[in-house]
Amino acid sequence: MPAVAPDVRVHEARVHLNRPCGDDAFVLGVTLPEEMAPLRAGRFFMLRRKDELSPEIPRPFSVYRQTGPRELEFLVKIHGRGTRALHQSRAGDVLVTIGPLGLGWPDWQANAGPKWFVAGGIGSAPFMMGIEQAIAAGVPADQITYVYGGRTKGFLYDLDLFTDLGVRVIAATDDGSAGFHGNVVQACEHLIESEGKPERVQVFTCGPDPMMKAVVAFADRQGFESWVSLETYMGCGVGICNGCAVGTTPEGQLADWPVAKCCTDGPVFRASDIRF
Amino acid sequence: MADLSIELAGLRLANPLLSASGTFGHGVEMTPLVSFESLGGWVSKTVTAQPRAGNAMPRIHETAAGFLNSIGLENKGIDHYQEATLPSVLAERARHPHTIVVTNLGGHTAEEFAQLAQRLDEVEGIDAFEINLSCPNVDGGKLPYSTDPARAEEVMAGVRRVTQKPLFAKVSPNVTRVDEIAKGCEAGGADAITACNTLLGMAVDWRRGRPRLATGAGGYSGAGVMPVALRCAWQCAQAVAIPIIGCGGIRSAEDVMEFVAVGCAAVQVGTASFSDPSCLARMGQELSDLLDREGGRPLSEWVGTLEVPPQTPWRQTQERQTPGC
Repeated sequence: MPAVAPDVRVHEARVHLNRPCGDDAFVLGVTLPEEMAPLRAGRFFMLRRKDELSPEIPRPFSVYRQTGPRELEFLVKIHGRGTRALHQSRAGDVLVTIGPLGLGWPDWQANAGPKWFVAGGIGSAPFMMGIEQAIAAGVPADQITYVYGGRTKGFLYDLDLFTDLGVRVIAATDDGSAGFHGNVVQACEHLIESEGKPERVQVFTCGPDPMMKAVVAFADRQGFESWVSLETYMGCGVGICNGCAVGTTPEGQLADWPVAKCCTDGPVFRASDIRF
Repeated sequence: MADLSIELAGLRLANPLLSASGTFGHGVEMTPLVSFESLGGWVSKTVTAQPRAGNAMPRIHETAAGFLNSIGLENKGIDHYQEATLPSVLAERARHPHTIVVTNLGGHTAEEFAQLAQRLDEVEGIDAFEINLSCPNVDGGKLPYSTDPARAEEVMAGVRRVTQKPLFAKVSPNVTRVDEIAKGCEAGGADAITACNTLLGMAVDWRRGRPRLATGAGGYSGAGVMPVALRCAWQCAQAVAIPIIGCGGIRSAEDVMEFVAVGCAAVQVGTASFSDPSCLARMGQELSDLLDREGGRPLSEWVGTLEVPPQTPWRQTQERQTPGC
């Protein structure tokens, strides 16, 4: 059994930012008491308020941005008890942070063809740093397409910041209130119809499970490789509770056991390795 | 600094804090966050004869005052435990004489429990076995060995026959008379009672008409169960001569001392490690500080100090004859 990742720390961190974002989300900035090495995009932290406002069990959140050696930002959608409690945080409030956790996105390969990042709603969280790091790793910005979908434009969080990254951004909304009128898979199909099918594309997706399944099915149809960043219920985040099981495929790299742990084997998986 | 060391079933422990099975990994995975020697003992996740992939998702759900789980004893079986997990555990154990290693065993039959114990009996460095009589997430939650004192005794006696290692019997709170189960375990040869496992519980998403756990019901733990667990530990302590290891909802040194006061020689901490996986690294110091503030008596002197005062009856009510009643 793998040990808890050696760089995981439990800290009391101070909130320095709570910025409203879109219709129902916010960006939470926290300052840790000690410096961290630069984080791989796609890794996550477990967060809760130190006081009684938060539930006992912390909740997992992808690192949205690493803005300094001790400063992190998390994009949080207000959903249930845990996120409502975090939403009440003000500058100076204390959070308990557990992290960094998980494996994050794979190494970016500059020579592996265009990269399509396909996000739905709050699933954009691991892509801000992911795109930045792909560019830093030598992937030309014009080889990166960010397809970002939501039910309506209020669920396309920080769209302008993604545009500022200098990559092609294709917004898609179910109601047509912003960008392409349709879902992200239809937007991807439209891209192929209008520009022709590239020989090779690497697809990375994060969003609601049905959307990711559709994106992976699309990638399979096109013969593209794909990776998913999953969100599951988690009890501990460090690999000890076995609460975040994900089924594995018999032919994949995780085939030696019927289930993987989303927290330590993921949350990013090669789509062909898992059933979700 | 108050002395926290304890004697448990013939073993010397640096302090009374043990991890609760299933909440701290199979071996020593947690050592990046909690040093091995900061605990009195490390209790493994349940080891079974055959590999078990565990239950379907969702396996966990947090409720207003606690935590539901239905993991289903996911583990890779005793072969894997012995070959892949134990070496690193035993290496830590060899360096730390006052932190014990407890292997928690799970079986479907009395024979299976005994076979597992026999298999590991000669492993030097496993200090004790904890016999999981009470997992609510297997066998359909029927708890066959923790609801009948005779069957609990049968399992413990079967294991006793094949090993001289200390045996902890982990009992269930899902009974009317946990003390009777504890007596059965003692009669079968248990050296300590772990009181207790999770309560049976459930939560539902009524809008969708679905349970929150894939199995419907599961085990309920965390802060909300502590009064129930404390009562179980207290009843067991009064019923048997062997030590009690209190378990259920402990989050602080104050909580530890409540279990000690009702008669527990040691405690296990579980769900609190999900809230903060490093909590057990600090709890020993907090416990020592707490006892210092209370005068510095050693922990062992606080065991069983609870006295329930005799009740003074209220004055008798005057009997009244009410016509027609």
